[in-house]
Amino acid sequence: MRFLHPIIVVAVSIGAAALAAVIGNDYYLRIAFMMCVYYLCAAGMNVLVGYAGQKSLGQAGLFAAGAYGAALLSTNFDLSPWVALAASAVIAGLCGVLIAWPSLRVRGPYLAMVTLAFGIVVEKLVSEWTEVFGGAQGILGIKPLALAGVPFANLQWVWFGIVLAAITHLLLRNLLSGRFGRAFLSLQADEIAAESIGVSVYRYKILAFVIAAVMCGVAGAMVAQQNQYLNSDFISFQLSIFILLLVLFGGSGSLYGPLIGAVSLTLIDALLARWPPVQHFAYGGLLLFALYAMPNGVAGLFGRFFARKTVLEPVPAAQKQSTTTPIRHDENRSNPLLEVASVSKNFGGVRPANDVTFRLQHGHVHALIGPNGAGKSTMINMISGVLTPSSGRIAFLGNEIGGLESHGICRRGVGRTFQNLRLFASLSVLENVLLGQHCRMKNGFWSSLLALPQARREEAAANARATAILDTLGLRELAQVPAGSLPYGLQRRVELARALATEPQLLLLDEPAAGLNPQETAELGKLIVQISKLGVTILMVEHHMDLVMSISDHVIVLDYGIKIAEGAPSVVQCDKRVIEAYLGAEAA
Amino acid sequence: MKHSIGRLLGAGALSLFSLAAQAQDIKLGFNGDMSASPSALSGQAATLGLQAAIDDVNAAGGVLGRKLTLVIRDDLSQPPKSIQNMSDLIDNERVVAVFGPTNSGNALAWKQVPNQKKIPVIGTVGSGTAITSPVSAGADNYMFRISMVDRDQVSGLMAYVKKNPAVKNVGYLSETTGYGQGGLKDMQELGDVEGLKPVCNEKFGVNDTDMTSQLNKCKAAGVDTLVVWAQGTPLGQLMRSMEKINYFPLTLMTWAADNQSFYEAAGKALAEKPIFMRTVTEERTAKQQKLYDRIAPKMTSASAFGFAAHSYDAVMVLASAIKQANSTEGSKIREALENLQMPYDGMMKSYDKPFSKTEHEALRSKDYKWTHWQDGKLLPYSDQVIKSLTDADYKK
Amino acid sequence: MLIALLQAVASGLAVGGAYALIALGFSITFTTTKTLNFSHGDFVSVGSFVGVTVLWLLLGKPINAPLVGVTLSVWQQLLAAVVTVVVIGLIGVMLYYLAVKPFAGKPGMSWVMSTIGFGIILTSLGLAVWGPSQIVVPSPVGDDVIRIAGVGIRPQEILMFIVAIVIMGALDWVMQKTIIGKAMRAVAHDQRVASLMGINVTAVMVGAFFLSSALAGLSGFLIAPIASASLYVGLSIALKGFSGAIIGGLSNPRGCVLGGFALGLLESLVNLWQAQWREIVVFLLVILVLAVRPHGLLGLRTVEKV
Repeated sequence: MRFLHPIIVVAVSIGAAALAAVIGNDYYLRIAFMMCVYYLCAAGMNVLVGYAGQKSLGQAGLFAAGAYGAALLSTNFDLSPWVALAASAVIAGLCGVLIAWPSLRVRGPYLAMVTLAFGIVVEKLVSEWTEVFGGAQGILGIKPLALAGVPFANLQWVWFGIVLAAITHLLLRNLLSGRFGRAFLSLQADEIAAESIGVSVYRYKILAFVIAAVMCGVAGAMVAQQNQYLNSDFISFQLSIFILLLVLFGGSGSLYGPLIGAVSLTLIDALLARWPPVQHFAYGGLLLFALYAMPNGVAGLFGRFFARKTVLEPVPAAQKQSTTTPIRHDENRSNPLLEVASVSKNFGGVRPANDVTFRLQHGHVHALIGPNGAGKSTMINMISGVLTPSSGRIAFLGNEIGGLESHGICRRGVGRTFQNLRLFASLSVLENVLLGQHCRMKNGFWSSLLALPQARREEAAANARATAILDTLGLRELAQVPAGSLPYGLQRRVELARALATEPQLLLLDEPAAGLNPQETAELGKLIVQISKLGVTILMVEHHMDLVMSISDHVIVLDYGIKIAEGAPSVVQCDKRVIEAYLGAEAA
Repeated sequence: MKHSIGRLLGAGALSLFSLAAQAQDIKLGFNGDMSASPSALSGQAATLGLQAAIDDVNAAGGVLGRKLTLVIRDDLSQPPKSIQNMSDLIDNERVVAVFGPTNSGNALAWKQVPNQKKIPVIGTVGSGTAITSPVSAGADNYMFRISMVDRDQVSGLMAYVKKNPAVKNVGYLSETTGYGQGGLKDMQELGDVEGLKPVCNEKFGVNDTDMTSQLNKCKAAGVDTLVVWAQGTPLGQLMRSMEKINYFPLTLMTWAADNQSFYEAAGKALAEKPIFMRTVTEERTAKQQKLYDRIAPKMTSASAFGFAAHSYDAVMVLASAIKQANSTEGSKIREALENLQMPYDGMMKSYDKPFSKTEHEALRSKDYKWTHWQDGKLLPYSDQVIKSLTDADYKK
Repeated sequence: MLIALLQAVASGLAVGGAYALIALGFSITFTTTKTLNFSHGDFVSVGSFVGVTVLWLLLGKPINAPLVGVTLSVWQQLLAAVVTVVVIGLIGVMLYYLAVKPFAGKPGMSWVMSTIGFGIILTSLGLAVWGPSQIVVPSPVGDDVIRIAGVGIRPQEILMFIVAIVIMGALDWVMQKTIIGKAMRAVAHDQRVASLMGINVTAVMVGAFFLSSALAGLSGFLIAPIASASLYVGLSIALKGFSGAIIGGLSNPRGCVLGGFALGLLESLVNLWQAQWREIVVFLLVILVLAVRPHGLLGLRTVEKV
């Protein structure tokens, strides 16, 4: 059953290859070859634009990297064209890192501009630096791929293209249907939340760029070698737009979108050539119409058939385990789990944290309370890595974590939820929770790409754990529902489930009861206690005093960034300064 | 019964015959820019010339008893599209010959296709020198041209600079497009052959409106003669920039200076300053005038007429070659072209054995005419230096 | 060499004026609708042609007739300018309804492609009407070179510079001091809340697109006497204008204008060194600026509460 899909792909490829052999016409063979080339570009860009959500306009530069890499290596250094092709993939990948680096912190139109600028710099570089790149005169006599000394004819190029396309499809499908695909999607949905569950946003952005770069680079190298000539006119802004269009027209973020886009647009492009006067107009009209009628691309039109499926595996009753699998036990449990020492934070003149010190004990439920603006969320943000303390130490299990990146802190065992709900709204409930498992899954890039046994094992295990968490929180029936479509209370529960899936030792809850009615609040209280009994330490920021007083072991009170009281709930309740902070001086 | 069957058969045979006759049309292809850049003006003019010639040939009975038809493909100035069009024309439409391109870079991109498939190509617009060079030394070469050749133009300009005693310091200016850089390469190589050392080598963009910085650098280097390689509008902007800084060295330009866009951009006074070479002048021959009047209503730019004239001649020469070869097979046509027996009194000149195995250019330096603008007209230009130029001065 | 430097500065400011106007256009739509018109360049090109067409109509000449040596009165030029601004502004409104409104706010790049598609259609129509030729347009303020301290400037360049400054000042005043400006900024922040406050969000957005496109049309009209009217130069000018806006900070109109001028100056100065590296220098600078300051040099960082 597992091999059904690859078998279908192989069968289709063989069919396509046979069809190509029957068609003698070189023109159609060229079109078929271009389809394969464009498919490679589109598949790579789909990962970057469709999955990772990075609006890139510089694909022509990556195409150029591969094309000129192959051209120069085989003409200047006399390398075998096969080696040149492989090397051009590497060169393009490096260029992908180059374009990714300045793009990491920019968003929206600024990102489009950075990538666009990159594309133009490359375009101008290959046109102006004629000593190396040949400019518009170009590079002649690029060695084509050859087998046993016989250079590829158009037919062999088509076969080669089909093989590469099939391999690309299978590998990307492996990668994108598992942990990596989900991680990319989380980038697009909410970067801060992605970091909080252990996805290193920078690393994954770079990875997405590299994948797109390698694919576009290989495509470029193939074009250079097939044509045996390359000049700077091949690289243009129009090419970047066309590659982007392939992805959008086919269906951005869908697995089959690139295939549909590449096949249909190449055909349309060739057909329109017959009517030169209408060509431009038809092109523009196509763009507009396509976007109107099919905002999610052709694949989106046939939505259900092409939709991403996340399989929910029923967990056998015998295997039902606790929601959190064995936590790494600290030998010396008498040491505090978390130590916050003289931590301060300045935002210009505002000081939401002023020399705050406290400790969290293993297994306890702690509460952080205080009037609005006291600096509670700031403290949570500093512990979870969203903010960096201006001074002071934060130590988790004895190790300094102040100033570390969120994803690293999550990996060490700190999970959190957010005050202003940060779910991955377009992903399903199960996918959200599976993302929580992201940093606990051990299958790396190559393992996932090649669908090695380890990857399959890890995916299955993660699935089982996620399902168990869903069961515990009563969310099983909603597993396939898009998280953003749920009512508010259920969304909060999903976020909690996601945080639990990160297998935290310390769980930070930022106003978990906000917007819940009294009954829901009481249920939440029971749930928190249940989680705590499993060995998870809790620190929650809350305003619901009943909840705080009923379930907390330890309460810390902040006011204007200063810790004004700390201790058991009953003690804190009667503290004069606490009453003053909440109700004003007269009430005390 | 017999009667009607007979009529039916007769009608069937007749329609089959006419179908076959239609299928017998000789297809000629055009692959160039028709809409995507200012080069489109030349592309459009070329197709007008091609169609006019085709109409004339068909009116006279066609070639080998068959009619000629023109299949046009727009390559949007993009090499991948140009290559695809070439394949479309040759493999799909099965044309017998192709005319084009408008952009020299595109020809370099698809050169090996017609050479491989043995389909002759006659260029009538693109002037890049490398277009007509054979794919490998000694191989059969299917690329021909009846148009300006950049190298020959440069040769003429360099010869003038060398022979002019008033020239002390020469400078090169070129636009950063393929056309400009190709011309610059020829300028540098032929300059070296002539022993000319430029003291200044500046570049500008094709859409630039201000070249004062580059000109100031030339001025500071003491340049008194400029050789410029660019298209019409930037040439005009260059003259305007010269006016801005009041610096007017002797200026030699490409044939693009014959363009209406140059004259209008530079303005009447400034346009009269540079000199350049062309394949036609305003003093049109009777033949040229007839063609001009015929296609004038459809021409978007009168100064692109030269391309129409080249294209007209190209069709005529090709038709003559097909007749001589008595076949539409590519290699036979090529051989006929390289050994054309019938002289043809064409638009541009009298073609008498225009091509040979090694010579694939129909128009060379000696066919070009020195020109300049005067009173809004393109007139022949002559001075002592030009009068003293001999064939030997035109270096290769 | 000082003269050359001064000349470069003068030329740079002149072309910078064009970039500044275009950068402003981008800023206006971005600040109100969070979208950009990726076919802004085509609007500039068509703007120059619309202006010329009005002149042809006024003079009774056919389309594409050369205008060399023709003198036009100030009123004729002014009329052409006004018609251009209004017509292109209306095309901008059409763009909003056809290509932006259906896709704005939705995730993904739909509005990028739809504006590009609209631009392609616009240029195809332009091509059908005016053809691929480049038309030289007479300047409304004459063409004779003005010489100041050895530096040559054309009157049209001075006009462009002045117009850019005036419009920047006027827009600045409107955005900061009038209620319309406040409404525009409110819509940029949060459409729903602005609507709740009684602001007609659609009207503001339509107005933004009208204004932005009108600016594009005006840019085209002013550039035409310098660079000649052509359907093909729009893209590169728009790209430079966009770069200027990005460097300055899309969300800050003043920054955009300054960015546009800075870009023009930079280009002119690089010309003094090696003109062919110009684009590479400019765009490498863009990448550098954004790598260091992701919202542009003067852009406003919106801080999110986590």
